[in-house]
Amino acid sequence: MPARSNDLALPTDTEPAIALRGIVKDFPLKRGAAVRALDRLDLEIAHGEFVAILGPSGCGKSTVLRLAAGLEQPTEGEVLVEGRSPAELIRAHRLGVAFQEHALLPWATARNNVALPFRVAGREVDRERVDALLELVGLAGFEDARPRQLSGGMRQRVAIARALALEPDVLLLDEPFGALDAVTRRRMNLELARIWMEQRITTLLVTHDVDEAVLLADRVVVMTGRPGRVLHVQQVEMPHPRGGEVTRDPEFHALVDRLTGMLDDPEPVAATS
Amino acid sequence: MSRVPGAALAPSRGLAAGGVLALLVLVEIVGRLGLAGPGWPPLTDVFGYVAKPSAQQLLGRALTATATAALAGFLLGGVVALLVAVLSALVPATGPGLERLAAVVHAVPLIALGPLLITTAGREATPTLVAALAAGFAVFVAATSALGSANDAQRDVFTVLGAGRASTLLRLQLPAGLPLIVDGLTLAAPAAVLGAVIGEWFGARRGIGVLLVSSMQNVQTDQLWAAALTAAAISLLAYVLLVALRGAVNRRFQ
Amino acid sequence: MSIDALSASRRVPVAQEGTARPSPARLLTRSLGRVLSRYWTVAAFVVAWQLWSWLTGYNQIVVPPPAMVFGDVLGNIGAYLPDLGWTLAMSAGGLVAGMALGTMIAVVVWSSRIVSGMMTPVALVMRSVPVVAMIPVLARVFGYGWFTVLVITTVVSFFPAFVLVGSRLRAAPQATSDLMAVLGASRSTVLRLLLLPHAVPGLLVAFRLTAPTAVLAAMLAEYLMGGRGLGTLFAQSVSFHEVGRAWGAALVATVVSVACFVAARAVERRGTVRFS
Repeated sequence: MPARSNDLALPTDTEPAIALRGIVKDFPLKRGAAVRALDRLDLEIAHGEFVAILGPSGCGKSTVLRLAAGLEQPTEGEVLVEGRSPAELIRAHRLGVAFQEHALLPWATARNNVALPFRVAGREVDRERVDALLELVGLAGFEDARPRQLSGGMRQRVAIARALALEPDVLLLDEPFGALDAVTRRRMNLELARIWMEQRITTLLVTHDVDEAVLLADRVVVMTGRPGRVLHVQQVEMPHPRGGEVTRDPEFHALVDRLTGMLDDPEPVAATS
Repeated sequence: MSRVPGAALAPSRGLAAGGVLALLVLVEIVGRLGLAGPGWPPLTDVFGYVAKPSAQQLLGRALTATATAALAGFLLGGVVALLVAVLSALVPATGPGLERLAAVVHAVPLIALGPLLITTAGREATPTLVAALAAGFAVFVAATSALGSANDAQRDVFTVLGAGRASTLLRLQLPAGLPLIVDGLTLAAPAAVLGAVIGEWFGARRGIGVLLVSSMQNVQTDQLWAAALTAAAISLLAYVLLVALRGAVNRRFQ
Repeated sequence: MSIDALSASRRVPVAQEGTARPSPARLLTRSLGRVLSRYWTVAAFVVAWQLWSWLTGYNQIVVPPPAMVFGDVLGNIGAYLPDLGWTLAMSAGGLVAGMALGTMIAVVVWSSRIVSGMMTPVALVMRSVPVVAMIPVLARVFGYGWFTVLVITTVVSFFPAFVLVGSRLRAAPQATSDLMAVLGASRSTVLRLLLLPHAVPGLLVAFRLTAPTAVLAAMLAEYLMGGRGLGTLFAQSVSFHEVGRAWGAALVATVVSVACFVAARAVERRGTVRFS
């Protein structure tokens, strides 16, 4: 079963945290032509659920995340986050995001980078929370380091701490470990699993790494491209917390193999565009 | 062949000194032998002229006037250009129009502006204003591209965090653009000196530019070259100072 | 093409256009809006000029109204064209000579470590020297004539080409250089096949930077030395108090400078697409 936050009475527990309904997204090209990135896509994510979108590059999975983040507008259909439009959540500073590029401010220390959301929202910086977040992502002692002085993995940790700074309603992660080497990536996956266990924030992760998706998510959504559609939704029943031992579990491997097979040879979807 | 810092430095310093020395010797020889006619004096004659107290007084007065005009113009032009660039970042609709205006103002040839400014702003203010125009354009071009230099991922983060235009400008665009803005200042400094000198050609009372034109007309070749070298020297000094500033900024902001 | 890349590259969401083709009226308002957003400042400039000439009470000695200046240019275009042609010829000649010389010296510097070591500080010094301010010196050395104007436009055009071509020659893509080395290419082959094509964008940037400067330098030299050209026309009209003609010369010079800049930028864009 997907893990659910059970302590707080959520305002609208029956309503999904993120809802994308009948989404069509076209990108205009030159001379009036357009390319269809997403075609009638539906996706709902429950409160406290961790959903991974898995797919080959160019299948439109990042576009799904950018729609939820309010960085793109759908051509058709509606996007609701916490029952409101993403733009409203942005204005209320309720979204957290991390990209493949860490997008840290190179002139600011790790501490000031994590404090950025407070400043942008015009709130007083909660120094204790900033330091606690840096400790949570394993960067105690590196508070005053500049991004340039940190390794690639450490930079992504800072970016994730920044995304968590204002206790967002929704965490959006777009290939956050995509630029890391395989060893660091695996370690970061286990770290993220631990951090998520402590925070239990509704999370949407976009990735092309099958291991990463299965290790972290309650549900894996497999997408195909051109135009982007949902090919398959896979419930991952393994209980949290998932540590390194999970990756040696035969059940884990069976699941990874099945999903990998789908990516290699997607079932032909009737083209109706 | 490899670039070992310590090993490569010594001979290249030697070569650099050799290069400057060779240039000076060449200028001296051309002058000494009269290869380029009477208009090209030996360098030692020019230095001999500069050593005279009367010449130093003349050059000093001119230098003060020109340096003051160039500095005032540099500051005025730089501040106005930065304000306009910030305005076009805060109100994007004004951007294309302001850029066109800057390009047109820049393209108005200085010879057209000089006499115009003399009649409207007066002889004293003209060198400063021409310097401000020359420096301001360099700063404006650099600043508009500097304010757009933050990368897309950083902008997306600011958008999702709900940052307003002013907050994005203050916390992302300005610091991210600072190295490019300083690059613009590095170009603007010699431009301000040049602007001040050209502004003086249109009828200022004193300054290096006045000295250049009057020496040309009165065939005072040593004085002409001394004035030219002085102009080059303050331009070089301004450039070197800003290159040092640029080094400091780049270390801090990249 | 990757949808995700497309998505990321389109940061600003465009207004939804619907499926129907936009009507002619919408097209017209849109292109009008575009022209307005780009040129409102230029229009404001002309309006301010007109207002200013009203405020000075039509004192035409100080500020002639725009209509008078435009009228003089359009009505007496024959008085401007010969000088304009002369100035453009001087600028173009100097531009070609200066850029060719700059490229040649940059290649020489590239080919020899010793020359390179000697030239780098010299180039640094020369780069910060206000070349246009040296017009009186050059006039003294080369005499008061068209040749000096040509020398000045050449010198002005030399440095950007020298610096920008030089830096492109030194910053060739490493992988391709390595490939050439493995193939056993000689230095001249590398220069011909890799470095010179790689340096073309640098030359194009130099062209864009230099073209308006060359025109300006030619006019300044003409203004100071006399002879022929727009600069001289301007100086003479000022001294004979022909205000309309003087402002007309300034207007023509401005239009020519803007045109040179726009043309040079178009050439740069075309060329950059081709060579990079």
